[in-house]
Amino acid sequence: MSRDTEHGPRLRPGLDRRDMLKGLAGATALSALPDMAFAQAAKEAPALAKLAAEGKLPPLAERISGNPLVITVEKVGRYGGSLRRGLRGSSDHNGILRMVGNQGLVRWNLAFTAVLPNVADKWEVNADSTEFTFHLRKGMKWSDGKPFTADDVVFSIEDCAKNTELYKSAPSPIVIDNKAGTATRIDETTVKFTFASPYALFLEMMATPLGQHPTLFAKHYCSQFHPKYNPGVAELVKAANLSDWGTLFRNKCGDIEIPSRWGNADKPTLDPWVIKEPYTGGATRVVMERNPYFWQVDTAGNQLPYIDRLSFSISQDVESLMLDAISGRLDIQERHLDTLQNKPTLSQNMQKGGYRLIELVSSSSQQVQIYLNMTHKDAKMREMFANKEFRKALSLGMDRKEIIDLVYLGQSQPHQTGPRPGHPWYHAGLSEQFTSHDPAQANAILDKLGYAKKDANGIRLRPDGQRIFFAIDVIPTLYPDEVDALELVKRHWAEIGVDIKVNTIERALYYTRGDNNDHDAAVWPGPGGLDPMLDPRDYFAQHTQGSRYAIPWAQWYVSGGKDGQEPPEGQKQRMKLFDQARATADLEKRAALMKHVFDLTAEAFETIGICLAVNAFGICKNNLQNVPQKYPNAWTWPNPGPALPQQFFFAT
Amino acid sequence: MLRFIAKRLLWMVPSLIVVSFLAFVLIQLPPGDFVTTYIATLAASNEVVDQNTAADLRVRFGLDQPMIVQYFKWISGIVLRGDFGLSFEWQQPVSDLIWERMALTLVLTFSTLLATWGIALPIGVFSAVKKYSIGDYIVTFFSFLGLAIPSFLLALVLMYVAAVEFGQEVGGLFSEQYVTAPWSIGKVIDLLQHLWIPVIILAVSGTASLIRVMRANMLDELNKPYVTTARAKGLSEFHLLVKYPLRLALNPFISTISWLLPNLVSGSIIVAIVLSLPTAGPLLLQSLMSQDMYLAGAFVLLICTLTLIGSLISDILLALVDPRIRLE
Repeated sequence: MSRDTEHGPRLRPGLDRRDMLKGLAGATALSALPDMAFAQAAKEAPALAKLAAEGKLPPLAERISGNPLVITVEKVGRYGGSLRRGLRGSSDHNGILRMVGNQGLVRWNLAFTAVLPNVADKWEVNADSTEFTFHLRKGMKWSDGKPFTADDVVFSIEDCAKNTELYKSAPSPIVIDNKAGTATRIDETTVKFTFASPYALFLEMMATPLGQHPTLFAKHYCSQFHPKYNPGVAELVKAANLSDWGTLFRNKCGDIEIPSRWGNADKPTLDPWVIKEPYTGGATRVVMERNPYFWQVDTAGNQLPYIDRLSFSISQDVESLMLDAISGRLDIQERHLDTLQNKPTLSQNMQKGGYRLIELVSSSSQQVQIYLNMTHKDAKMREMFANKEFRKALSLGMDRKEIIDLVYLGQSQPHQTGPRPGHPWYHAGLSEQFTSHDPAQANAILDKLGYAKKDANGIRLRPDGQRIFFAIDVIPTLYPDEVDALELVKRHWAEIGVDIKVNTIERALYYTRGDNNDHDAAVWPGPGGLDPMLDPRDYFAQHTQGSRYAIPWAQWYVSGGKDGQEPPEGQKQRMKLFDQARATADLEKRAALMKHVFDLTAEAFETIGICLAVNAFGICKNNLQNVPQKYPNAWTWPNPGPALPQQFFFAT
Repeated sequence: MLRFIAKRLLWMVPSLIVVSFLAFVLIQLPPGDFVTTYIATLAASNEVVDQNTAADLRVRFGLDQPMIVQYFKWISGIVLRGDFGLSFEWQQPVSDLIWERMALTLVLTFSTLLATWGIALPIGVFSAVKKYSIGDYIVTFFSFLGLAIPSFLLALVLMYVAAVEFGQEVGGLFSEQYVTAPWSIGKVIDLLQHLWIPVIILAVSGTASLIRVMRANMLDELNKPYVTTARAKGLSEFHLLVKYPLRLALNPFISTISWLLPNLVSGSIIVAIVLSLPTAGPLLLQSLMSQDMYLAGAFVLLICTLTLIGSLISDILLALVDPRIRLE
């Protein structure tokens, strides 16, 4: 029996961030029940008990495995109730994923520091991190009552994720050094993943949403849409009026993050709640009901989830979601509401709406990261941006304190990029350099760089006579605060003779300009604050959409040198170090490698940050219990999923 | 008459071809494509698409091909197989998505139309006949007020008052228990109970402008010699009004039928979004924003077809109602 405790396989000894996350619900109590007694002692929701008594459902002992995952709950809950949440009309499928669809082989602990058992009860890793053997739970079932075994994992990986007709290139969490790993069945409940190169980060990747492929597809159901198992699949495709089997497969079995994952009520899953009213183009709400075969129990042996059903209302308009919130019609919600300008309204209406605010610890590093395009198409601009002294002058030329006070209501501190303060990998040199406001020094640097001449408006001129002027792309509908911050930066920089345009553009244009390398500069909240290994895009050119200071370098890195532009030596060194860190299971050694990366990042000083990312917040009804008062806010820790909504319950 | 109709119908074919091409180009004009928007939408919640998957999507949806190839794939599917393609976003056939919402849109639009006409016609006639009376001033004042208030604002205010002051839910067209229930008497009653709110909101602005139009038209007609003649011959005032000036004053109403049909799809989008109505408008807007080309294209094509049909109907009706109009 596995327990949600400190005793699970720890990945990061000595790397606990408990200090920072004080106030998180502790997970300490141990269950005293012996292994085999569980199935008999387990209790279930009244509605299910009734179905079982009527013979419409097998008894609980047959539905859950003899070895269910025991969740250590803060309070043992009571069954019942319907939890209300809001979705947006378009592309909001991840709003459902974050709540229920987090059932991978492993999962994160609450502090976002270690990987815990989930679908896999335990696992072994070989010495050089190329082989991972997962032991699944005996007798575990899909939501339709069919057994879940190693065959399902092998089918999901070998027949689906690695099938080039379904995925042109295998999903990146199972790929290392451009080669996909192999899943092999050892016995019914044991499955082994083998990689050609060391891949120590594999377990952490499996705990993120994008690492869910191994448990995504039920073989007994999805194989009927797969030509390898069903030679007659062409007729099914034709009957459904679709073009190829891949489309049919996606339509029926979905994928990790597409709406059709929640569009088919027949698809078996391992989630605590299963789809009753699907998320489709015409839907006005989505309803999910408890999975009678869910494989987790609380410490008293009650089968989870406590809450009977989830009801997601679909609003086209965020303002109507706000109305729902303040009138108390949402039980837990942070999505779409968590902008700073909503906070006063939501705080004022706490009593009326009967909710409390919960704090979401930002996983990002930077609230506003300025990316000067160091691979600019114009040689003169490139030369200017690529000069570290120039960037240093710009950084010293801005008054961070004023920005924090005026735009972020004092809730932040000056910060460049880097792991957040309190993180074991916090790097003072990287995060604190050039954050003081020193216009005199900035001016001196710019004079020395040959930009001493000024025009009539006090704007400096380059040696070729052009004004120092560039545009910074920003998406006003997404991050209105960044526009405000940039307006202040524009004023600060005007004082040192640098002129910018705050270029407010639509988000698709923002991406297209980045993809084509057409931008002078851009801003974005800089990630990598709590998850530097999972999103290192600001530490070296790693992300082909996100590393906006040098997207061609990132393309070079991702394509293994085939596309993009060859980066300078310092970048290549970091790419190599990161690859080594990713392959290193020993956390001391990994930390040392990453420290080297941060040293080099600090030395290169490519991005200019303003201040530490501000914590977000969510609302939670007063009678909703077992919700941690504070938890991370991240995509790699897809809140609230790892806080285990299946153990939330409504107090009477 | 029949020849006229046949000719008009034939003209629709080339018009539709041109329009479908223009629609497709227009939808493609904004920078980026569906995949860019998809990535951007997810990034807005700090979510990341697997970089391998993103590249895959473009190939799978054929977005890597030239636009003209994409257009021919789309239009040939429609013409040859009646297949409107697959919505990128929902991975569902476009036709399923569209028809699902059209029925409710129809109900809403016609209810609004009936309400608008039912209120505007008598009031318009009244305020023309009693020109510059106190009643006229009062009606005029309210109709200007109605014209001035944007309907989405009215919807928001109504929702706020209902939600915060009365704790009532205003959005949607059905109560919780009827949303997915099959049609029954109970569901129809439930629909009627919810329908009046959007109908009133939508009717407010429509009524106001129609009152003004009606009033002006009636005023034009009331001073014509034939009215004086009829009155001199001793026709009762009511009979006189209805028989001649009103009939002529209706002309503009009939001409607006050609706008009415496309309004089925694209009218009242903002109100529908604010009130979360399950009508076609929000789906159209959403498909345009996410650059879900086939879905948006089908909607635009539908709107254009309806406009063409609508103008044909209004031409025919005009010819029937107004003897001054001749087709030849």
